[in-house]
Amino acid sequence: MNIERHDTDVLIIGSGGAGLFAALHAHQANPELDITVAAKGLLGKCGCTRMVQGGYNVAIADGDSIERHFMDSIVGGKWLPDQRLAWRLVETAVERIHELENEVGCFFDRNPDGTMHQKAFAGQSFDRTVHKGDLTGIEIINRLLEQIWSRNIARLEEHRAVSLICTTDGASVAGVLFIDMRTGDLRFVRARSVLMAAGGGPTMYRYHTPSGDKACDGMAMALRAGLALRDMEMVQFHPTGLLAGRDTRMTGTVLEEGLRGAGGHLLNGEGTRFMFDYHEHGERATRDIVSRSIYKEMRDGRTTPNGGVYIEMKHLGPEKVAQQFKGMVTRCADCGFDLAGDRVEVVPTAHYMMGGVVFDEDCTTDLHGLFLAGEDTGGVHGANRLGGNGVANSTVFGGIAGERMAAFVRDEGLRDPDEDALAEAAADCLRPFDATGGNLNELRLQLQDLMWDKVGILRDETTLTAAISDLDALGETLERTGIADAGRAFNLTWHDWLNLDSQILISKTIARAALARENSRGAHYREDFPDTGELESSRYTVIRKSDTGLSFDTEPVDFCIVKPGKSLIEDEAGAPPTAGMGGRR
Amino acid sequence: MSDTLEVRIWRGGAEGGLVHYNVPRQASQTVLDVVTWVQRNDDPSLAYRFACRVGMCGSCAMTVNGRPRWTCRTHVDKVTDGDSLTIEPLGNVPVIKDLAADMTPFFEKWQSARGRFHGAATRRDAYARIKPDSPARQTANAHVECINCAVCYSACDVVSWRKEYLGPAALNRAWVAFNDERDAHLGYVLRSVAVNGGCMSCHTHQSCTQHCPVGLDPSAAIAGLKKALSRAYLSGRLKLS
Repeated sequence: MNIERHDTDVLIIGSGGAGLFAALHAHQANPELDITVAAKGLLGKCGCTRMVQGGYNVAIADGDSIERHFMDSIVGGKWLPDQRLAWRLVETAVERIHELENEVGCFFDRNPDGTMHQKAFAGQSFDRTVHKGDLTGIEIINRLLEQIWSRNIARLEEHRAVSLICTTDGASVAGVLFIDMRTGDLRFVRARSVLMAAGGGPTMYRYHTPSGDKACDGMAMALRAGLALRDMEMVQFHPTGLLAGRDTRMTGTVLEEGLRGAGGHLLNGEGTRFMFDYHEHGERATRDIVSRSIYKEMRDGRTTPNGGVYIEMKHLGPEKVAQQFKGMVTRCADCGFDLAGDRVEVVPTAHYMMGGVVFDEDCTTDLHGLFLAGEDTGGVHGANRLGGNGVANSTVFGGIAGERMAAFVRDEGLRDPDEDALAEAAADCLRPFDATGGNLNELRLQLQDLMWDKVGILRDETTLTAAISDLDALGETLERTGIADAGRAFNLTWHDWLNLDSQILISKTIARAALARENSRGAHYREDFPDTGELESSRYTVIRKSDTGLSFDTEPVDFCIVKPGKSLIEDEAGAPPTAGMGGRR
Repeated sequence: MSDTLEVRIWRGGAEGGLVHYNVPRQASQTVLDVVTWVQRNDDPSLAYRFACRVGMCGSCAMTVNGRPRWTCRTHVDKVTDGDSLTIEPLGNVPVIKDLAADMTPFFEKWQSARGRFHGAATRRDAYARIKPDSPARQTANAHVECINCAVCYSACDVVSWRKEYLGPAALNRAWVAFNDERDAHLGYVLRSVAVNGGCMSCHTHQSCTQHCPVGLDPSAAIAGLKKALSRAYLSGRLKLS
């Protein structure tokens, strides 16, 4: 089997906020380094940072503080976040936003006095979300892209990473095996250091928001390489995704939170408002409560033609809605829906994975030479991520990783890969061409249905146990499902197969962790264990690869900065927790 | 209008041809959904590019019934000619395979038009206080939200005539830079677009503005650059080379 080979100093997988910041900081630390960024799509144009609508949480306003941002993140994360990681996030976000504005050149919206405009966002005790209209992600990524393009940084675009290849002793990462998607050829890149920043994305659910290229590849590669995943049961659902039928890629995409905040109504299939039956804040309750309430209406059969509920804005005045939510109204209109003047079908939609690979605050991992940053990592957000903390996470830790990798490679040579492991990984990614028959599309739909129905918004022991055996069966069916070898160049169906392979593996970790957590925290809700559980003795779930499949464990949360019931800002007014949609001021 | 779309899709690279497919028509169906249906249900070897599905990444632009469009946000009802739909790769850039185009020239020109911020301040400095209603900031804001989909580049006649022409998106970016009061290299912006194939090559056909899916006006940006460049020549700040 022919595998093209080359070497680099710093190899970065992913070109979202984490990957691009890592490349920039590694280059700034040492411009002599050979840096390579590999992306599954075009640089900066695949992945999810680009899709950030809300903005960037950072404590820079008068009266706000990193302690307050920290407390909001810990309380919002239901006391499960790794406190050292959360502290690193809120502390470094201040420097990172200044870098984005002063060095990268992002345009962020301003107040009339010229200071940065910071908007209110759910679950925060202060208005701290820096933004560029409602397209903050495009601004951040476009400006970062320009900085990367203009530097001596190599790019491997439309290169899919398929396996982390270790040294023969298994102690270090030696490099990464890729498929050059444009040619279908295999390429092994040996690297002195590797950053996994491929992004998460719970696309294994029937309704999901992330970019279509996302498939949890990074987490799957890390798990296979022996690294531990934590908090995998924590999958965040956004309450209002567009619902337009199974055959359109529009389905599942986010209709923004602000619609409910502004006074939008949710109606069930009978045309009745229902949110006040579930919570005193009605449609303005938090994401998790609204998602669960919608799901209950759906499960009880009070659904719209496509099986969801309606969002209705017209009572606020169609013209006002069209003006205030221009982007959303235009997007709906492009797809044939009148958001300003009519009802639009919506459904809760899988949005973000709080769980991910265990890593340290300097982005190192248990595997020598491997670094992690962004949505592939676990521990920063705990049981729930605050809107606006996602892009802060990827850019903060991406930058840290870049600096750390530049320092790391000073004393590191290239390491030779375990050639047997490399050959095995190469054969592995070609195995779909060896099988014949089967129906790949049917398998994808089956996976999405089973995750939605059994490992979704409401879970219990019966559904989760069934899901685990269903997922095993699905994995076996995938192995028997083939692809015609009619040209490997730009073969999307091959990549659909490999996506399913990653998705099924990571789905197993979600189901397994969800079955083990016998309480309800943040994004995880067990109907058979609805209580939060004692905060002081909180533990987080950990999953590793084992000889028989997956092994499960729990670890105690280390409350090294603040203990449940305490606050760093106890004496201040307006301290978290907050329940409503908006912040203070 | 029947319940079946008569779809012709470009197959091959630079050499190739249109292949016919019957695709079931749906109430909610974008051009990207049509392409996806063919790949999933009819011919799994069909190549195309997409990512975000919501008009943010600018990856999925193709030529639809003769015009460049973002396919994830184009409902088939708005573009079909009766029941027929012809889908080809984006024009003015090379084809890789089927509907996937090579965007390299587009991004290279983006860079050469001074498409990068050069700040004087660092991450350790206070950020600039900028009045949102200052004319320069308002101009920059009106042009900055480009998704680099290359629809304008594909629609531009001058690009098809002159391979060295920077094109609307790159020049639009330069105009944003020119209006960015934080940029420490402002003087270089005009030099970058004064080159052969720079802003003066534009014939103001305004195809870019007409086709921009996010409603930007690159044509106005180019007009702004031309004006600024003329002033710089006349005042002697820039020498004709």
